[in-house]
Formats: sequence, C-alpha cells, structure tokens
Amino acid sequence: MGAYLLRRLGYMLVTLLVIATATFFLMKMLPGTPFNNDRLNDQQLANMNAKYGLDQPVAIQYLKYMSNLVQGDLGDSYKYVGRSVTEVISERIGPSALIGFQALIVGTLVGLALGVTSALRHNSLLDYTSVTLAVLGMSIPSFIFAALLQYYVGLKWGLLPPALWKGYEYTILPTLALSVTVIATVARFIRTEMLDVINQDYVMTAQAKGLNQRKVIIRHVLRNALIPVVTMLGPLAVNIMTGTLVIEKIFSVPGLGEQFSLSVIVNDYSVIMGITLFYSFLFIFMVFIVDILYGLLDPRINLRGGSQKG
Amino acid sequence: MKKRKSFLAFTLMAALAVTGCNFNSGESSSQTPAPSNNGGTTTEQPSSGKKVLQVFNTDEIPSLDSAHVHETVSFTVLNNTMDGLYRRDQNGQPYLAIAEKHDVSEDKLVHTFTIRDNAKWSDGSPVTAKDFEFSWKKVFKEAGHYSFMFETLAVKNAVAIEKGEKQPDELGVKALDDRTLEVTLENPNPLLNQLLSFPTFYPQKQEFVESKGDKYGLEYDNMLYNGPFMLTDWKHDQGWTYTKNPNYWDAGKVKLDQIDGYVVKDAPARLTLFEAGQLDRIELDSSYVDQFKDDPRFHIIETPTIYFIRFNHEHPVLKNKNIRKAISMAWDKKGLTDVILNDGSSPLNGLVPKRFATDASGKDFREFNGDLQQGSLEDAKKLWEQGLKESGVTEVKLGVNAADTDRSKKIGEYLKNQLEKNLPGLTLELKNVPSNQRLEIEKAITYDLSLGTWGPDYADPMTYIDMWVTGGSANRMKYSNPKYDELVQQAKLNTDLESRFKQMVELEKILIEEDVAIAPMYQEGLAILQKEYVKDFVYLPTAPTNNYLWADIVK
Amino acid sequence: MSMELERTKNNSQLPQSAAPLFPADSIPEDLFVPEPVDASLQEQTSGPMKSVWQDAWQRLVKNKGAVLSLFMILLITFLALAGPAMSGRTYDEQNLLFSNLPPKVPGLEWLGFDGIDSKGINQYEVRGVTENFWFGTDEFGRDLWTRVWKGTQISLLIASLAALLDLIIGVAYGGISAFYGGRTDTVMQRIIEVLMGIPNLIVIILFILILEPGIFSIVLAMIVTGWVSMARVVRGQILQIKAQEFVMASRALGASNSRLIVKHMLPNAIGPILVTIMFTIPSAIFFEAFLSFIGLGLQPPLASLGMLIQDGYVAMRYFTYKLVFPGIIISVLMISFNLLADGLRDALDPRMKK
Repeated sequence: MGAYLLRRLGYMLVTLLVIATATFFLMKMLPGTPFNNDRLNDQQLANMNAKYGLDQPVAIQYLKYMSNLVQGDLGDSYKYVGRSVTEVISERIGPSALIGFQALIVGTLVGLALGVTSALRHNSLLDYTSVTLAVLGMSIPSFIFAALLQYYVGLKWGLLPPALWKGYEYTILPTLALSVTVIATVARFIRTEMLDVINQDYVMTAQAKGLNQRKVIIRHVLRNALIPVVTMLGPLAVNIMTGTLVIEKIFSVPGLGEQFSLSVIVNDYSVIMGITLFYSFLFIFMVFIVDILYGLLDPRINLRGGSQKG
Repeated sequence: MKKRKSFLAFTLMAALAVTGCNFNSGESSSQTPAPSNNGGTTTEQPSSGKKVLQVFNTDEIPSLDSAHVHETVSFTVLNNTMDGLYRRDQNGQPYLAIAEKHDVSEDKLVHTFTIRDNAKWSDGSPVTAKDFEFSWKKVFKEAGHYSFMFETLAVKNAVAIEKGEKQPDELGVKALDDRTLEVTLENPNPLLNQLLSFPTFYPQKQEFVESKGDKYGLEYDNMLYNGPFMLTDWKHDQGWTYTKNPNYWDAGKVKLDQIDGYVVKDAPARLTLFEAGQLDRIELDSSYVDQFKDDPRFHIIETPTIYFIRFNHEHPVLKNKNIRKAISMAWDKKGLTDVILNDGSSPLNGLVPKRFATDASGKDFREFNGDLQQGSLEDAKKLWEQGLKESGVTEVKLGVNAADTDRSKKIGEYLKNQLEKNLPGLTLELKNVPSNQRLEIEKAITYDLSLGTWGPDYADPMTYIDMWVTGGSANRMKYSNPKYDELVQQAKLNTDLESRFKQMVELEKILIEEDVAIAPMYQEGLAILQKEYVKDFVYLPTAPTNNYLWADIVK
Repeated sequence: MSMELERTKNNSQLPQSAAPLFPADSIPEDLFVPEPVDASLQEQTSGPMKSVWQDAWQRLVKNKGAVLSLFMILLITFLALAGPAMSGRTYDEQNLLFSNLPPKVPGLEWLGFDGIDSKGINQYEVRGVTENFWFGTDEFGRDLWTRVWKGTQISLLIASLAALLDLIIGVAYGGISAFYGGRTDTVMQRIIEVLMGIPNLIVIILFILILEPGIFSIVLAMIVTGWVSMARVVRGQILQIKAQEFVMASRALGASNSRLIVKHMLPNAIGPILVTIMFTIPSAIFFEAFLSFIGLGLQPPLASLGMLIQDGYVAMRYFTYKLVFPGIIISVLMISFNLLADGLRDALDPRMKK
C-alpha cells in the first residue's frame, strides 16, 4: 500500500508539473496583454511590462514562475493591483465550495433515492418517470434550470432570494440549480448498478435461500451497488465545476468559477494559471481519494500495485 | 462505511468553516433586507428612516489606490468617496473643491492652489498640499496605469519621467507649505480645471498609506476618504456600502445616508433584482426596452461614447478614399440604432458626439459641421465602383476585427449583411476576438477594418480630436496628415477658447469629410430603469459617470 | 471424425455379402481418400444463423426508448439537413421590417404559434406582415426556423467531427498500447494517467482562446483531451480479448498481427467503442453550447445551438421563443443520444440476455 501511495503521489506531482508548464506556455501564446487600456502608450506599456517582469525572456519568466510555485507563491494579479493570486482564490473559494458541497450532498441523496426506487420497481411507471427525470436533468443545460428557478421561485413566487449573496437563504437556489445534474448522474448510475447487482448469482442465491427481500436489498444489493458510486466523485466534481462557471454569474455568487471566466476575458494570466492549477489539483486529489476509498471499500481490490488496471 | 462517510462530511465542513463563506456579516450593513416575500415590484427599503440608495456594480473593485486605478468601477467609487482640487457639478463644470483658491501666473504655467482649511480626511486630520504631492509622484514611482493623464495635463517633466530621463521627484508639483500647492506646466492648458477633477489627481495621506504597506486601498478600512461618502463595508466580489462622510467639507450638500452597491453581472438578474426591490437603478438590455418603453421609470441617456470603423490606411484597396467613403455611406445607421441596439443609441455622422460640447453661445459642436460623409445609396455605389476601378480590382475581401461582446457581434453581423448587399464585390469576414486581443491587433495594425469605440477622458472635443495625430497611441491605423498634426498642436496651445473651438470644428471636417480617416457609426445610448423615488442621480458624460453627491430618496 | 464418416460411407456402399471382400484390417492406407474441404461448411451451425449484431439489433428494437431515440435522432438530422431549405430563406438573410416577430403557423394558433408577443399584440397584423415565420424571427429579422436547423446542423457537425477524431486517435492509441503491451503499454499508460489528471473543461477553454475561433478550433479543443476515454475503453477491450482462447488459437495457427487485429480484436471491441461514441456526441454538443454560453463560441453570423441558446437566454423574459426552440432541440438531441447509447450498451452486453 505504501509503495502504491508513493507512486500515485509521484504521478500527481508529475501531472501538476505538466499542467503548470503547459498552462504557462499556453498563456504566453495568448494574444493580448493584461494591460488592456486603450489609452496606454508604448512607453507606459513598456514600463508596466517591466514592473511585472514581462519584459524578460520567456525561459527566465518560466523558471521564476516555477520556483515561486514550488514555494507556494502563485504570483500577483494583473487586474487586482496589489493582490496576490492566492488572495484572489481564497476570497472566492468559500462560496463555490459551499454551493458545490451542498449540491453534492443534495444531489447524491436525491439521486440515490430516485435510482434505488427506480431499480426496485424496474420497468414500472415509477421507473420510467424517474429515468425520464434523470435523463432530462442530464440533458437540459443547467443554466436553463438556473434561469427558470430564478424567475419563478425567486421573483414570481417570491419564495427565495433571486440573486446576490447575503445570507444562507441566498445559497439555496444556486445549490438547487447546481444539483440537478448531480441528481441525474447519480440516479442513472445507481439504477444501472443496482440492476446489475440484482442479476448476480449471489443475490439470486440469497433470494433462493429465503432471505427476506428487505435484507437482500440492503445487505447485498445496495451495499454492492454503492461501492462504484465512489468512482462517480471525480466526474461529479467536474460537473459541479462546469456548473459553477455559469451558475455563479446568473445568481451573482462571488465564486471561483465566475472569477475564472472573468480572468479569461481580461487576460489576467496569473489568476487564470492559479485557478487552473487549483482546479487541477482538486481534480487530481479527488481521483486519488476515490482510488483509495475504492480500495478500502471493495475488498476485492488490493492496492499493492498492478491491480488497479481496467 | 457510514462512519467513513460522516468523517468525510466532517472534514469538508471543517474546511468550509475555515475558508469562510463571505456572507455579509453584521458590521455596518446590519439591515440585510429580507428576501422579497411579496414577489411584487414594491418591496421597499428598510423602514429605519435612513435614506438608502441601492445600486448595482458591474464588477469587483480592483483597487482604490488612486495611483493605480484604471477602470470604471474604481473610478466610480473614488469619485464618490474622494475630492480633488476641483470637482465637477451637476452639469460637469469644474468648481473649486479641496482648493479654495487657484492663482495663475502671468505665463499661465505656474498654478498655486490654496487648500481649504476645513478639508479633512475621514480620520479628522487635515488634507494638506503634501498629500497631493505625494500621490502625484507615486503614480510615476509605481508605474500607475493612468500616468498619461499627467501628460494630458502637461505637468512639467511628466513625459521625461515616463521615458526614464528624469526622476519621479522632478515632477512639476510641489507643496510650498501645508496649505499651498504649486503645479508647474510645460505649456498653458485650457482644460486644467476640468482635468484636475479626475481621480488620478486625488490626494493620499503619506503616513497612512505607508502604515498600510502594499495593502492600501484594498479594504474599506485601509483607506482614508476626503469625499462625500466613505466606504464602511466592502465584501470582496459581492458589494460595498457607502456611508455619508461627516468630515466632508461640503457635507451639507449630501442627502443620502447610505448607498448599497452590489456586484451583479448578469442582465436578467439585474432586472429580477430591480423588480424584487433590491436595486433602485439598472441598465436595461435592449431586449427588454420595448417592454418598458412607456414605463415612467424608463429613461434614456445619451452618452458621448462613440462607435466607429477604423480603416487600415495601408491596405491596398482601403487606401482609396472613395472606397472608404462608400463603406461609410452604404449602410443604414438608423436600422442599427433603432432596431438592433434599441437602447437610445443614435446615428453619428461626425467625430464629436451630440450634446457633448458647445461654443460660447451655447451652439452644439455637432451643428457646426452637420452630417458628414452623407449621401444616397446610389452615391455610395458610384463611389464604390469608381474606387474599385482606381484600385484595379473587382472584388475585395475584408476582415472585420471586433471584440467578442454581444454588442460588437451584433454590429458586425448587421454591417456584413448591409455592406455585402449594397456594395457588389465586397466580402466581409467577421473576426470577433476577446477585447484585449482586438486591441493588440489594432496596435499591430494587422486588420483591414476594426470596430472601435472611444469614451471621452474630459469634457472637451479635443479628447476625440487628438487621437488621430501621427503616431498617437489611439491612432492605430497608420493615418497621417501633417496638416492635421500641426493644427492639433496649435489648437492644444491656444488659450483663446473661441478660436480654439473653430480650429477643432475645422479639424473634424478634415478628418471625417476630407480624409475619410474613419467611418463613424453611432453614439451610444443607455436605457435606464430607475425607481421613481430616486431623485437627482447625476450621470455625467465623462468618467467617472455616476455621482451620488446630490442624489436623494423622496418617498 | 472424417475418417469415421468415410468408413460408414464406404460401408454402406459395399454389397451386403456374407464375407467382406477385404477384411477390415487388410485395407491398405492408400485406399483412403480425404473428403474435399468445403470452406463454406466450416462454420456451419445447426440453428438459424444469428450474428452478434442481429442479436443486438433484435434486443435494441425491443427497447422502446432506444427506438424512439433513434427515430428522433434521424428526424432531427433530417430536419437539420432539409429544414433550412424548407422556409425558402437563408440563415443570414436580414430584413429589419421583420425584426422580432413571434412564431406563427397557420392552423397551430392554439399551440401558441399565433404571432402574439409578450404584450398581447399581434405583431403580424400591426406590421402588416403576410408571411409566416414558424419559429419567429430575431432582432435582425432573420428566420429562426432556418437558423435553428442550420444551428442544429452545425452542432451535429461539430459533435460528429469530435467523435470521429476521438475514435481515430483513441482506437489507434488504445489499440497499440494494448496490443504491444509490455514497455510500450507502460509508457503510453503513464502518459494517459497524466492527461487524465487535467480537467478537460479548463483545457478546452485555454485552447479556444489561443486558436482562431471557428468550427475546427472547437473540435480541436474538444479532442485535445477527449480521445483519452476512448483510448482507455479500447485498451481495456483489447487486453481482455487478447487473453481469450480464440485469439491464442488463432495466433497458434499462425495468423498475422494485422489479421488478428482486423478479424478478431476490432469486431469484438466495436460494441463498447460504439457506445462510447454515442456518449461522446451529446457531450460534445453540450460543450459547444457551454462554450457559446460563456462567450467562446463560433463566429457570427454562423449559428449553432449553443449560440442560439446564448442569444435566447438574455431575451428569454419577453422573447421566450428565442430560447424555447433551440432549447428543446438540444435537450431532445441529448436525451436521444443518451438513451440510444444506454440501449446499445444493454443490447450489446451479453449479461443482459434473458
């Protein structure tokens, strides 16, 4: 296990290094500068470039960036004069994490309920309804849900605040909008897994030996169907990340996704890179955790190496 | 397994608790308005009797350090929380603010300002001449974005310092004593008073700035204010609260107790919040205009922001004047402003927009030259054919460099359709790119046509006219006319306002009618929805546009 | 077995005499003649012949959702190709007189296709427009019917191109990796592992920023990381097949590598590959829409479903139809591809056989 963990950590570092390098050079290829004022003349531009070290050869800039990175310094924002990228990220991560986490919880629970019901009442009306709901949830872009929620729940019915970020009740609509895809993904996944498990020999054996249905479902079916749900964490995290990019703008949530799309528009290189690295780290870390959890939960898998293929 | 799951949940919770969720917590903004439960359009403000205005902001404040600010949001906040030597009134005319006296030397080069003795910072300490000297020099010491304003102002040595030939300390500004500031210019400047109201020329108190290190202007309490309001709360990326500044020298004028500004970027969300009573004034997207046209809360503002087409004057075909003129004439500007944009924008047939500047008698600048580059579609077609013949081609393919905003995309689509229909042999290829990239392409002059825009820096036609001098940083199209350059130089130094005005009218004519240097498109309008109880919200044509000083809430 | 047969045959032909002409043990070897090999009989089976595909097809047909999805996909594809021509207008033809007309279809007034706008005014009557615009018009007076189907066409094109390129790269990479195994596989897998760690959304956005905006850039940005999942699927399949007895047998019989790949590996891996493609297409459609929504889409006046939705989003309050039609089509497409992919996966999965 230890060796395996070390190897995995090694890969994580390599991946991050690759991402950091790739992003750095992609940024250098980006047309335009972070100083996008119409009025700056060449002399001023040169002065500003010198101030941020952008006048040095790319190789030097790269080495500098990497050495700072190793020390945990992501550089300074070009747009937010005097603020470091770390500050910008830490100001923004709270709201994103909150709605993301809530959406994950709500989505998983609701999705689980839908998926289990649907699998147990296979081919019933209930099953069809929940499958349809799940497919709809996956198919309709989340910003359409967001817009509908904001207009109806927020304005027409006045049940919840339509936008802004001033208290807990302000998190509910963004959470709901964000959780739709999570619900759909989990429900579909659970249903398939359950059906798969129900058809396994050991379940039939359990049924055949006269165990009551409840027990079979909980002890054999659900338990085994749940294990692979852990593997969904990675894709779900990505879903949520994609979601936050647009949903935060619609609900005026001061989150990281919104900041990313903003920085992309204004060429704030250092912030783009910072958030890219941050997201990548999160993603890689998620995948790592999933693999570990998976190994812990499923006794058939051992982590001594080699067996994680497939 | 259950245990593990709850452990995971706990860890995440803890992480959340540490990172914090940035809600508006207590402090000054104690009256977090409840969500609108009546769903109507009439949710009112907290009934504490305080006069509170609720406005939206397009973005987070990047910085409040006047030496570094470079975009609208910061300018707006500074304009309402700070005061310079001069301030602009409701009509945009400069009046003495922090300075109570302004003496000018014989040669109009040395200006001596006496600071008002009741001018105070929000901590109660007096504003001194040294505060100005410090903040002005700081712009150069720290390579601030707006250092070119000192060039525009013609402060002595500004250009040389920028080029690295002189030191920032040699800038032509000096505090003779605590209440006397001396500013030396390179040449007389008729726009001096007007320009001095700009945020880049605001003072900063040196001891305070230095005590905050590089965090000055990044939090509401890392700032000292000497203007009508002060920030008493600033939740990054969400919004900020202005409170009336009791130490303001002119506090008697201020009627509002508080202004809540929220960052709202999404157009539908703004309308929703307006209807839910959480915003008092919004800008409307053009798709909503028809719906609100007859509403008493609906207003149109004509801004002096102009939109025009830049031609690459070195392009083999575009160098032909007839071709340029044909492109400018062969499309229906009214269709663009009234149907596509539908927000109060109006066609522009010149360089200087309507209702921006007048001569001494009050006659609008636009009336002097009238509509330039005008003619029927037939005329345009004739010019086009003639131009093609002169260039020896029958077909032209031109790329259109434009930003990737919704507005630019729409203009491009409309232009492409109109021009291709009306000018046989012309093909336009739209290239919408991020704004920074558009600028970069303009600077490198690798485009054929480019959709440009310009908002004035100060309320004088010169802000549009001096863009086009040879090698000017806003020229960006290889346009060069020595006669034009010379006349601009003359007009800039001319302190006789009347003849200066005439020179500028003449310059516009040369640029637009004789040289067809650019093709003007339209002057921007703003469709505003404002609650009826909001009074005297002053919108000035030049940045910073939003002024809360005179605003009031009357119910 | 053939010898046995031979013998009985011969026996039956022999005259029934008391004593055999030749005693069995005295028949010389050279009298045996091998039966000519009939290649067509080699793989003959007793029951009616049913290939994997026929089998899968039969099971797919039983799945009502999948059949309906297939039908919807075909219908939408047909309309995407033929729709723009049906209205007699081009997708970029502007006429400001027709600006912002609500949808109107004679005979379908009761469904809301009545030309009445959000203020309750019949815009067709007020402006004296005699033509009908089935999906209404945008602010340029462009026919939305034409634009929506043109947009569907472009979205489908982007998605299919992305899927095709994913397929080519993924199959080649996964195939080589699994087939050669050993060191090659290890190195190639390490590369994939690193690539898997990169969030594709971010990569797509960064690439779009650098490339000249257009259909091909979007496709290119999507396949930068998109092919990885295909490569993994293919590799997994090939590894599994490689270990099976029939491949070993074939190899033992001297089959060449290319024959092994073409005849045995690919046909057996094609099911999962197909399913992966079916999932790639809707996600590519979605990504295009997403990119358009955050302002990184195609160049106007070209339309795609994403761009139409983005246009419609802001106008949704008062010009609902601008969002509704492209919204419905993108949703139906996504649903159909997902359901069809599900159906295919079930149909191709032998474990689901009842």
